[in-house]
Amino acid sequence: MSASPSAPAPARHRRPARSQLRRIAPLLLLALGIAALLTARDMGLGELTAPGPGLWPAIAAALLSATAFVLLFLDPAEDYEPWTAGTARIVAGLAGLALFVVLFQTIGFVIPAFLLLFAWLRLLAGESWRMALVLAVAGALVLHLVFVVALGVPFPAGPVDQLLGA
Amino acid sequence: MTVGISDGIAQGFAVALDPTNLLYVFAGVLIGTVIGVLPGLGPTATIALLLPLTYTIEPATAVILLAGIYYGSMYGGTITSVLLRLPGEAASVVTTFDGYQMAKQGRAGPALGIAAIGSFVGGILSVLGLMLLAPPLADLAVSFGPPEYVALTALGILLVTYLGSGTPLKSLSMAALGLLLATMGQDPITGTTRFTFGSIALFDGLDFVAVAMGLFGVGEILHSLERTDKVQAVTRRITHIWPSRQDIRDSSGAIARGSVLGFVIGVLPGGGGVISSLASYALEKRRAKDPSRFGRGAIEGVAGPETANNASSTSAFIPLLTLGIPANVVLALIFGALLVQGVTPGPQLISEEPEIFWGVIASMVVGNVMLLVLNIPLVGVFVQLLRVRAGILAAFALLVTMAGVFSISNDSFDMWVVLVFGVIGWLMKKTGFEPGPLVLAFVLGEIMETAFRQSMLLSGGSLDIFVTRPLSGGLLAVMAAVVVISVVLARRRRAAFRQVDPDEEAGPDPEPAPGHEARRTAADVDTDVPSAPGDR
Repeated sequence: MSASPSAPAPARHRRPARSQLRRIAPLLLLALGIAALLTARDMGLGELTAPGPGLWPAIAAALLSATAFVLLFLDPAEDYEPWTAGTARIVAGLAGLALFVVLFQTIGFVIPAFLLLFAWLRLLAGESWRMALVLAVAGALVLHLVFVVALGVPFPAGPVDQLLGA
Repeated sequence: MTVGISDGIAQGFAVALDPTNLLYVFAGVLIGTVIGVLPGLGPTATIALLLPLTYTIEPATAVILLAGIYYGSMYGGTITSVLLRLPGEAASVVTTFDGYQMAKQGRAGPALGIAAIGSFVGGILSVLGLMLLAPPLADLAVSFGPPEYVALTALGILLVTYLGSGTPLKSLSMAALGLLLATMGQDPITGTTRFTFGSIALFDGLDFVAVAMGLFGVGEILHSLERTDKVQAVTRRITHIWPSRQDIRDSSGAIARGSVLGFVIGVLPGGGGVISSLASYALEKRRAKDPSRFGRGAIEGVAGPETANNASSTSAFIPLLTLGIPANVVLALIFGALLVQGVTPGPQLISEEPEIFWGVIASMVVGNVMLLVLNIPLVGVFVQLLRVRAGILAAFALLVTMAGVFSISNDSFDMWVVLVFGVIGWLMKKTGFEPGPLVLAFVLGEIMETAFRQSMLLSGGSLDIFVTRPLSGGLLAVMAAVVVISVVLARRRRAAFRQVDPDEEAGPDPEPAPGHEARRTAADVDTDVPSAPGDR
């Protein structure tokens, strides 16, 4: 839209590609809105005198679709932050978190917590090996004490729990 | 009425001075100050992360804790604004103008001292205003029926979309998404399942806490990971925190005006924080005999805005506690915490749950006293917190989030919800969609739908009911007025930024919030505030 005049010079040559790419967000919202609208219709809209289960979702979905449609054409480009090298780190961090949840469901809290902390501190936060190791061991144990022993949260059982007397 | 108020105050202090609650006030203001100082963790993220904890405590205690974090962070944010020119939260941006200049001249102590004193005065005066204004407002609102609730919730959502910090259209789009997400699970009236995709875990809909923790907690942490700016630790000792008599004389007028201005702006839903501190700064600058001192370390330029932002963060509780409308995202989270506890904030709160209403108000008095006592002698200790590296903080905050969300219903499904909403929250930040309106609409969605359907049954299917009833019609008229006013204000605010920001070009440091704030109006603007460097 009205973005270009104040844009920083280095970014300028990439602009055409990015300005098209950024339309993905409103497009996704529009698709979501239309899909929800169709689903809501199938649930039964009812009448205004006797609203069906689908009426309210349909109203919300219509609002979503309408705003997303307008945003396709009227979206200030300055709102979008460029992707950086840091983005890859975030994706790696997210993968780590997902792995943590999977491990947590199978072998309990302590070991996955230690692994998550250690990997995050060493690889993403750039702490030294020793610092990462100390903080990860201490963190996993302290959080185990807080959640399991003090608050009594029933985390899935794991091999370390007998040792810690849970 | 006056008898009711004095009884209420007595009851409130009985609640607030209960040892448990006293401990939670202290914990709240301490956590608030700490996170105000710490890099990469703001009040919204912290409150979102602590929501699971509030499940296990009394509703009044929960709100006391969360409110303490909110106004505590206003104090903490000042410290980094003055010493490092890094506003800890958006409302402290204005403080960087003169506060940082004072610090450069070796007057960091008085700058922090006067900010703490001003915040204290503003907070206390605002609490007094809250005590006097809230009960009559709630009395008026008791007669509300379903159509009024539809109008009220719509007004609340609209105000947050228009007065928040994003582009209004994008915020409206997010509010619609929030309303849609709120319909997942069983229909509140007929029990039909909606958007569950055959999954039993979705029968009860998405858990509010998991959504909020994902969007604000995980989303914000992920977003801050991408920023690499290093915080310089402050090693210089800070002396003379207690301002001199001359300093107090110079800033007493600014503090008085800031209190009133902050209170009034805070009561208007959506008005808290940034707007109040900007307005106060502009006012002080206009009143000054020599406006050129501003931006070069004028103490009024610190005292006024700091007072105003604390006053407004207190008076912002008025719409929540009397009408059930959260004025901003932080209050939406507090609203959500109360809903989870089975307490619906609204006109009946004062009569039905007086211990919550008066207890919270009284706790604010206690909390502000604690903050004053904590801040003046302990500023040096808080400054040391800046040494904590953001990466370490992020790792622990994420792990605590994951463990905390599991503890809500001992179900690992919620962990996935947090993770998914964390990714959504991060992508929203990247693409300029505000998570605030989404969460607010998500919280209000079910109330709004139920009230809408009841109204339709009442009126026999006629939409006229919203317009013909005087109260709901009036509220809808207010909505229309808000839209008009916000367009005017957007223009005005841009002008204010030009006037207020003294060294727009001079400073090499990024000033995240003004740019961020300016994005709101970006659709129809020549970008007059230098893009948004801090929000990369």
